Amino acid sequence: MEKILEVKDLNISFHTFSGEVKAIRGISFDLFKGETLAIVGESGSGKSVTTKAIMRLLPEHNSEIKGGEILFDGKDLTKLHDKQMQKIRGHDISMIFQDPMTSLNPTMKIGNQIMEPLIKHQNMSKHAAKERAIELLKLVGIPKPEIRVNQYPHQFSGGMRQRVVIAIALACNPKILIADEPTTALDVTIQAQILELMKDLQKKIDTSIIFITHDLGVVANVADRVAVMYGGKIVEIGTADEIFYNPQHPYTWGLISSMPDMDTDDEELYSIPGTPPDLLDPPKGDAFAPRNPYVMKIDLEQEPPFFKVSDTHYAATWLLHPDAPKVEPPEAVKRRQNQYVGTKGGK
Amino acid sequence: MAEKQKLLEIKNLKQYFNVGKPNEVRAVDNVSFDIYKGEVMGLVGESGCGKSTTGRTIIRLYNATGGEVLYDGVNVHGKKSKRQLKDFNRKMQMIFQDPYASLNPRLKIADVIAEGIDIHGLAKSKQERMERVYELLETVGLNKEHANRYPHEFSGGQRQRIGIARALAVQPEFIIADEPISALDVSIQAQVVNLMKQLQKEKQLTYLFIAHDLSMVKYISDRIGVMYFGKMVELAPADELYKNPLHPYTQSLLSAIPSPDPISERTRKRRNYDPASHHYEDNEPIEFREVTPGHFVLCSEKEYKLYQAQSR
Ligand SMILES: Nc1ncnc2c1ncn2[C@@H]1O[C@H](COP(=O)(O)OP(=O)(O)O)[C@@H](O)[C@H]1O
Ligand SMILES: Nc1ncnc2c1ncn2[C@@H]1O[C@H](COP(=O)(O)OP(=O)(O)O)[C@@H](O)[C@H]1O
Ligand SMILES: [Mg+2]
Ligand SMILES: [Mg+2]
Repeated sequence: MEKILEVKDLNISFHTFSGEVKAIRGISFDLFKGETLAIVGESGSGKSVTTKAIMRLLPEHNSEIKGGEILFDGKDLTKLHDKQMQKIRGHDISMIFQDPMTSLNPTMKIGNQIMEPLIKHQNMSKHAAKERAIELLKLVGIPKPEIRVNQYPHQFSGGMRQRVVIAIALACNPKILIADEPTTALDVTIQAQILELMKDLQKKIDTSIIFITHDLGVVANVADRVAVMYGGKIVEIGTADEIFYNPQHPYTWGLISSMPDMDTDDEELYSIPGTPPDLLDPPKGDAFAPRNPYVMKIDLEQEPPFFKVSDTHYAATWLLHPDAPKVEPPEAVKRRQNQYVGTKGGK
Repeated sequence: MAEKQKLLEIKNLKQYFNVGKPNEVRAVDNVSFDIYKGEVMGLVGESGCGKSTTGRTIIRLYNATGGEVLYDGVNVHGKKSKRQLKDFNRKMQMIFQDPYASLNPRLKIADVIAEGIDIHGLAKSKQERMERVYELLETVGLNKEHANRYPHEFSGGQRQRIGIARALAVQPEFIIADEPISALDVSIQAQVVNLMKQLQKEKQLTYLFIAHDLSMVKYISDRIGVMYFGKMVELAPADELYKNPLHPYTQSLLSAIPSPDPISERTRKRRNYDPASHHYEDNEPIEFREVTPGHFVLCSEKEYKLYQAQSR
């Protein structure tokens, strides 16, 4: 498979009143052509910062890329000038945010907003851009696009606005689409439609998608591969089947166990105890150790490296060390492992 | 359920906006239900269906267009003395979806939480006030040190805990939680739901718990009502609603929830709801009918018989 984006040992800090927030602490991953990579993790784990770094949208006044590379098309995005980056943003790489209004200008007609990147990046004439805008609105399932193109954002419902944002993001057939919780604010029925739309469009234009969400149901629906983030690091990465049916990191176990299960009568909902690590002063060993029911002495002392589970599946937990004691994963996870049918096989 | 005491009776509640204008909205349209003392009543439905308006009208943030709300037998919307009003405001509290927008960014957490204590004069001294704040912080799983910080220094889940502490500060009886977890991560949602559930038991609170999806609300609710375009279309004990959803809209809502299971997601079929599918005749009475004990559905006589047959 063709690699389209490569993130290598990225480190990002924020300089704040209280000190240096080490938001991203050495993350690496690849994005392949045409795939959907989901990034999951609790809020504050660094999902948005990672993608904002790719888009170079981090606040200039207090953020710092302390190290690492983001390789795209032979270039390290962290080193580009603003001018060069502007050519890539919205053209090669586009982004959709949770709140469509952050991407829409309330005082500008929808059509003009879709036309803007077409005129800017593709030197289209006004007329051609308008035609294309109508086409795009149709593509994202907006009825009566010829009329809608002349309307303003407030005349659209939340779901329709997100469709418009998707139309803008896809206007230039980007190679990468980054979607940061694009459906979190939407109703489940609208969410289902938007997810279908994105998958459909992805097939048509062969975009790679980085899909950020905290909803494992959504992940199961869209992802080819999944990266699980915790405290500014990726702690587990694998195919969707590997993460859902054969997870290895106790944090992933916790995430999976805390999903509400519609088919059981459980009274109490599992929740991972404690709070995420303080990134002003990240713990020395495994950042998840204080909340980990399976914690071992070494977790408190030394950071776990990635252990290989399969060619596509890696997890950073000392539990995978050959000398670690065998532990029983939580019930919810065991149930899933029994269901595991992946051909790549577990351990 | 029968011998349970009614805390709230909502009778034919109507809340229309822009009455008589072309953009009239019947946000709440003839909704009736009771809330029992000590129960959690869930209210679900898609955005715009009237959940918040229902909550806000109950708590008297709006004057009802029609119908009435009785709290402990007293008409909420009736005339009251200043004292009664104040008392009433203390008994009913609200927790909002966006914990950030609902917290004054310039106030320290201690002052955010103590706002109600100050208004209602619930602390005799500065020291007592701070002790209450510390106690409340602990109750919601935060700690003393947080009292001197500002809202922006907290995560979404922590802010929602602050929102809960603020609501609890005045020792209310009834809390309307308007999508308190919608903006939170799933794992944090679980913490907040468990916390709210635990507090409800400890303090014998009654909740109206509003949510826009059906997955989390199941864990906290004793009964759940489903709203669609200003109307309540189904109301049943929580388990019953999941096992035996009768109204096609409820069925479509349930089918839209993605499950954390890639294999089943690859084949899941969504059911769309089309209001025309009922094929109601003109003037056919569409009423909220009790299909099985405690399970109500908005339906025609014909559908009622069909639902009864299905539920046997
Ligand atoms: N502009 C900023 N200033 C200071 N800290 C920030 C800023 N943006 C993000 N952070 C911190 O970086 C960490 C990761 O944040 P983020 O990537 O937004 O998390 P999420 O996984 O929820 O998207 C958090 O601890 C957050 O507080
Ligand atoms: N103050 C208001 N003025 C006019 N219309 C309103 C007002 N508040 C709500 N509405 C309308 O009433 C309907 C129900 O809204 P709301 O109760 O907020 O729904 P929900 O909470 O279920 O999302 C919507 O159509 C909304 O636009
Ligand atoms: Mg984020
Ligand atoms: Mg609402």
